[in-house]
Amino acid sequence: MKAPVLDDALKADAPADLAAAQSRWRGVSRYVAGRLGQGLLVLFGAVTASFILVHATGNPATVLAGGQLPPAQVKALSAQLGYDRPLIDQYLSYLGHAVRGDFGNSFRYGTGAVGTVLTALPNTLILIGISLAAAIAISVGVAVASVLRQGGWADRLWRPAMSALQGIPDFWIALILVLIFSVRLHLLPSLGFNGARTLILPCTALALPMLASFTRLLRGSLLDFTGSDIALALRARGLTRREIVIHHGMRNAMVTFVSYVALQAGWLVGGTLIVETIFAWPGIGTMLIGAVNSRDLTVIQATVVIIALAFTLLNLLADLAVIWLDPRIGRERVSREGGG
Amino acid sequence: MSAINMPEATLEGAGPVRARRGERARSRRGSLTAGLVVLGAMLVFSVVASIVGGSPSHQDLASALAPPGHGGHLFGADALGRDVMSWVGGGIRTSFEVAVCVVALSAAFGCAVGIGAGYLGGWLDAVLMRLADIQLSIPPLPLFIAASAIIVNNLLTLVILISIVGWVPYARLCRARTLVLSERGYVAAARLAGRRRGAIAVLHLLPGVTTEIAILGSLQAGVALLWEAGLSFLGLGLQPPYVSLGFLMSEGKEVLSQAWWVATFPGLALALLVVGFNLTGDGIRDLFSPDVSGGLR
Repeated sequence: MKAPVLDDALKADAPADLAAAQSRWRGVSRYVAGRLGQGLLVLFGAVTASFILVHATGNPATVLAGGQLPPAQVKALSAQLGYDRPLIDQYLSYLGHAVRGDFGNSFRYGTGAVGTVLTALPNTLILIGISLAAAIAISVGVAVASVLRQGGWADRLWRPAMSALQGIPDFWIALILVLIFSVRLHLLPSLGFNGARTLILPCTALALPMLASFTRLLRGSLLDFTGSDIALALRARGLTRREIVIHHGMRNAMVTFVSYVALQAGWLVGGTLIVETIFAWPGIGTMLIGAVNSRDLTVIQATVVIIALAFTLLNLLADLAVIWLDPRIGRERVSREGGG
Repeated sequence: MSAINMPEATLEGAGPVRARRGERARSRRGSLTAGLVVLGAMLVFSVVASIVGGSPSHQDLASALAPPGHGGHLFGADALGRDVMSWVGGGIRTSFEVAVCVVALSAAFGCAVGIGAGYLGGWLDAVLMRLADIQLSIPPLPLFIAASAIIVNNLLTLVILISIVGWVPYARLCRARTLVLSERGYVAAARLAGRRRGAIAVLHLLPGVTTEIAILGSLQAGVALLWEAGLSFLGLGLQPPYVSLGFLMSEGKEVLSQAWWVATFPGLALALLVVGFNLTGDGIRDLFSPDVSGGLR
């Protein structure tokens, strides 16, 4: 007698579930479309910014000449590179070429500017990837340990260390690390790009300040969660504090954490550019400084746009991860809040 | 490099805070006091160092790379025999100048844009806020470095460059608060009393955001001087005759294997300055944050 009733109930539920799933799908695709649109807008902004940069002081040929050429030659150079055309013409053709991934040739090497940047990019990505991964792994551990045992050693030792670390410039940490581990102890190489041992110092320098802000954020959200009514309800059901923090708290905290990490990656790029020059690391930073010093304008433009592109892609990935982590996204209310 | 995102992550109040309230209350006044003490001590040090150490740009090749304590150089001397302590003192002053100018400029511009966008609304609002979104999504340091190829850096151009990036958080904050505040009765009353729009913005809307601006400002100050030091460290920011901590660190990098003190002391000063500004910002927030005072109301 009972089985048909149950069956009926299931059948009645199925279309409702389907409708809910379809509605969420619609919400999610609208959200993703919004994010994609914003990403494209950012890329357009980056391309425009890189154009304005180069034309900020008037004729780029003057910058290229560096005050060492007579005016007639500057004029010839300007005509040769097309800098004498109307500005709007130049902008439109720059935009058109940028869309096709063409920023012209490097003045220094004579090869494609984009190719020059792309050969340096993997070395920078290695640095960023390893330091991010290390910072995430350690900060999760420390934050959970310090929330589980408030007043325990992790809590007491790390809190002052974290607030100090957050202010310390990563390039100074890099110099101090070189001083201690290369100059004094002769343990690790201070220069170059040669196997895992050369990765340790630059990655440590980059990861330490990140670690501080990650731990701070995670610890904050975990503590907020343990103080919430949800945690109280879970406690009433007999879950231990450890289960609440690890299974439910982390899941909750991850939503904010993922977006935060993606945002911070942009600032990590800045730190990497500086730290690379200390270790003579053959990445984007060293290349960009070289290009700036030799006024290699096309390479500079390509670098700005490629960094913006990489950063935009990373943020899109983070958005997708957040959709997966947070089932509320896609329902009407949240999608409106999150899409802005 | 990581501090500038903090305001957005933390300004929004924390929601349920049963567990954190005690902890916050304890450190409520603590971090503000600590921050102000650190900053004050740095200012005092800067004055004392310039009195004791003489002019930072005075070269004395006889005492080149003198270690700390030798030849009257308390912090040692650099490769050209310049006194590291007086250079650090001068560098601290430069850092303060950069921080104050950048914060003033970007706060003024950002607040004007934010209040304008929030109050006037319409297409202006949409355009300005899209612009702000774009600016937040492009990592700034590569832009600064790229700009140095074109623009000759001095204090003024550097301050303008950093402020071009820094106005966005102020604009967003002011816009959000303006949207809320302009619904309030006292703003409607002012409008009915015949006050003009500009006067309402300055007299009635701006005072509502001063606390948040102070928080943003002190956090931004730390980031701004880090950027100045980073650019100068790369040889793209302030060069002599400007006295910059970053420049001294880049000199220290060259002589790292012989003279640890040239890079170490300016870096320490820089770190203390940033920590000081961060603590001050955190302190102001803790003091006024709604989730703490919410219990009192």
